[in-house]
This record gives sequence, structure tokens and C-alpha cells, in this order.
Amino acid sequence: MTQIVSFVLNGAPVQVPADPHQRLIDLLRGPLHQTGTKEGCGQGECGACTVIIDGRPVNACLYPAPEADGTTITTIEGLGGDNTELSTIQRAFVECGGIQCGYCTPGMILSTKALLDRRPDPTEAEIRQGLAGNLCRCTGYVQIIESVKWAAERLRDKS
Amino acid sequence: MTPEAYYKPRTLEEAFALKADHPEAFFIAGGTDLMVLMRAGICRPSALISLRHIEPLHQLTVGATTHIGAMTRVAELLEHPEIEERYPLLTAAARRLGSPQVRSVATVGGNLANASPCADTAVALLALGARIRLASPDGEREIPLDQFFVGPKTTCLFSQELVTEIILDEDARGTHGVFIKKGRVKMDIAQASLALWARVKDGQCEQIRLAAGSVGPVPLRLPEVERVLLNHPLDDDRISQASTAAEQTVQPITDIRATADYRRQLIGVFVRRALRQICTESR
Ligand SMILES: Cc1cc2nc3c(=O)[nH]c(=O)nc-3n(C[C@H](O)[C@H](O)[C@H](O)COP(=O)(O)OP(=O)(O)OC[C@H]3O[C@@H](n4cnc5c(N)ncnc54)[C@H](O)[C@@H]3O)c2cc1C
Ligand code: FES
Ligand code: FES
Repeated sequence: MTQIVSFVLNGAPVQVPADPHQRLIDLLRGPLHQTGTKEGCGQGECGACTVIIDGRPVNACLYPAPEADGTTITTIEGLGGDNTELSTIQRAFVECGGIQCGYCTPGMILSTKALLDRRPDPTEAEIRQGLAGNLCRCTGYVQIIESVKWAAERLRDKS
Repeated sequence: MTPEAYYKPRTLEEAFALKADHPEAFFIAGGTDLMVLMRAGICRPSALISLRHIEPLHQLTVGATTHIGAMTRVAELLEHPEIEERYPLLTAAARRLGSPQVRSVATVGGNLANASPCADTAVALLALGARIRLASPDGEREIPLDQFFVGPKTTCLFSQELVTEIILDEDARGTHGVFIKKGRVKMDIAQASLALWARVKDGQCEQIRLAAGSVGPVPLRLPEVERVLLNHPLDDDRISQASTAAEQTVQPITDIRATADYRRQLIGVFVRRALRQICTESR
């Protein structure tokens, strides 16, 4: 029994058919062609699929597609805005060496955004807590934590 | 079999009617347990009946008695200042459940109904002496949480029955609560966990409840340990006796996360640490 789900994706309304067994990540990477969101483990462990739903970080691999209806969702594609410039958090990962192969990066960045939206001035412990659901096999976490601090500082200066 | 339909009832009555029509369907809350099991082919529901859109299941009121709707998400519990003020033990357990992403959707009702021996909120709620309210087409009933878990991954829920809320009768301000959990890494389910709640007067526990996770077929109350401690001076000797009693009471198994022996030792150490902490706090 397919149903049509409507939600706001990166600021624009979308409508897409969802099957009962599908997950949000299937809609994003499938009919919506938003392949920035990655699938790693498919079971909530790695965070590569992290998106922000109604202000909270969520694993798109565990989120039933039919429940996307009526929500507001941000993926990595929604971060840069209209122009081709990188957002502050994206730039931070580039500047601080928080990115190598890049597979974990969209998830890391969305978790960082969810954290900084709530806590603009996090302690290192809070940063570690905020990223506890994201695994990286390349960079080492030191650079990633540096990236979050860098982004937090710049975002605070801006506001 | 993959689910053929995904239903979003708005009332309990509608949910029960759907379950009656589709006996092989599963209720789904946050889905953080169920989606994983479905994907692994371990659960094969004929349809899914979502509990997300049933308003009364989301209610959370803190007062002389506290009511926590089954659909309260772990993140919401964590962010609730009055819950933290009155039941810091519960907040501490919620903080250690999964990752931020999991806590954004995982519900307290799902954590209980899933009946895993490691369930973090279950261990805390057992120590807090919680009751739970269940509803079915035949009516409602309330039971102490320690009667809810009956065996590995099984509860006393009937097929059409739901957990609707968790009830805490006592305002835990002025009491002591400790939650200790050890995982292989920070974000992992427990190799062992312990929750302790106590009311201490003149160096003695007037009231005490202990519960442990991942050391038995279900989240366990530890009445043998409680008996050792109740109304006795909390001295080093008593603490040692309690720790030994805990090691003897638990029934851990060996699996990929830890050996039975290691789990037994952890519980002994946790009991000692938790009791030392309340000694210090109550001095
Ligand atoms: C990566 C990851 C890490 C995790 N880490 C932890 C951890 O550290 N500690 C921990 O305790 N758990 C952990 N979990 C397990 C899980 O997140 C929790 O058990 C969660 O609370 C389950 O809630 P849910 O709403 O997602 O349940 P669901 O998956 O929706 O449901 C679980 C089961 O309960 C039933 N159910 C749900 N609600 C009700 C209700 N109101 N009445 C009757 N039946 C109901 C469903 O039918 C289903 O069988 C983890 C899971 C993942 C994926
Ligand atoms: S793909 Fe979703 S958490 Fe790994
Ligand atoms: S950069 Fe390769 S997994 Fe993180």
C-alpha cells in the first residue's frame, strides 16, 4: 500500500510515494536523487545517514519513510544555500583536515549542525557526546573535533 | 514477508481495531529496535501500526505523581528540567542510551516493550519503583514494572495490549540515585549496568531499590541485595556483603560483548561504587 508523503526538504516542499517497508534514506537517495546522505551500516550504528528532522539529528536508515509526512528535513544538500559557497561548518571540515574520503562527512556535518543549533558554545565533552553516533574510518577524531570548534567560533562571531 | 501497509491511527481504539484486523501486524513507536530487526529478517510483520500520532501517548506531566507517556522520546525526557530535578537517576540513564540520533526518536515505551535485558531506562525505572499502565480493547490495568518482564525479550503484554504510560509515585527529591553503565565504547549497549535508589537517614538505608541490566534474561531487580542493606549501618562490611550478594544473585551469560564472569565482577564493583557514592552524599 503505497502512500504519498509530503514534507519540506531543504526549504522546498516535496511529494513522493513511500512504501510501508521503506526508510527515509530510500526516498532521499532514490526518487528524490539527494545522494549526499550516505548509507553505511544501515542499522543506526555509524551515523553516515544522519539528517535533521524537525530540529533533531536522526538516522535516515532507521526512520520509516511514511513518517516523513509533515516534517521538515535538512540534508547536506541544504547547507550551502543558493550559491556554490560552502557553509561555515563545511568549510571548517576542509580547513581543519576533518575530511578525507568524505563518506562520513555529510553525517558528521549534520550532527555538528544539530549540536551547534542548540549549543553554540559547546565544551569538548559536549562535542564528543554530540558526535558519539558518528563513526569515521579515516581522519581520526581529533581533527573532526577541531573542525567543530572552528565552526562554532566562526558561527558565534557571525551572530 | 515485508509489511504491506503502514497505518497511522489517531486514537487507541483505532489502533486496537487495526491490530484485530491484522493479527500479524506490529505496533511501531520510534522504530529504533524494530527497523533493525525487520531489516535483519528477524521480525516479519504483515503490517505496521504506528503509535506516533496517538496524542495521549505523548503526555508528560511531572507532579506528586509523574506520568510519562509511552511515546515520550528519550531526548525529550533528557531535556525536561523537572525530570532532571526530581529523578536525576532517570536522566542519567537516558543520557547513556544510544547516540543523539537514536535518542531523537527512541521512545521510553519502546525501550520497555522491547524487553531487552540491557534496556537503560528500564533499569532506572525499576530502581525508581515505577508502575506502568497498559491498555487493551478489554480495558486498562496497572502493574509494577518488575512484573512486566517475564523472560528473554518477552513481557506480560497480550497481543492487542499497549503500554500507555509509566507512573512514578514518589517525588525522588532528597533521595539518592546512582546509575552506572559500562559498554565497550561510550555509545554501546551495556555490558552491565546498575541503578540504585535509596532514602538514607542516620547512615542507614530506610528504603532502597537496586536493578541491574545485561546480567540476566530481563532487567533485574536485586531484592537479595536490598535485604542485606535495608536498615543497617552503611559501613565497609555491609558494602562488601552487598557487593558479594549482587555477584551471587545475577545470572549473566557470555556473548560477543563480555563474558559472564566479567559481567559478574562488574556488578560487584558497581554496587560497591554506588554505595560509596551515597555514603559520601549523605554525610
Ligand atoms: C544504534 C543503536 C544503539 C542503541 N543503544 C541502546 C542503548 O544504549 N540502550 C538501550 O537501552 N537501548 C539501545 N538501543 C535500542 C533502542 O533504541 C531502544 O530500546 C529504544 O528505546 C526502543 O524504542 P523505539 O520507540 O525505537 O521502539 P520500536 O523499535 O518502535 O519498538 C520496539 C518494540 O516494542 C514494541 N512497542 C513499542 N512501543 C510500544 C508500546 N507503547 N506498547 C507496546 N509495545 C510497544 C514494538 O512493537 C516493538 O516490538 C539502541 C538502538 C540502536 C539502533
Ligand atoms: S547507515 Fe544509518 S547509521 Fe549507519
Ligand atoms: S573521512 Fe573517510 S570515513 Fe570519515
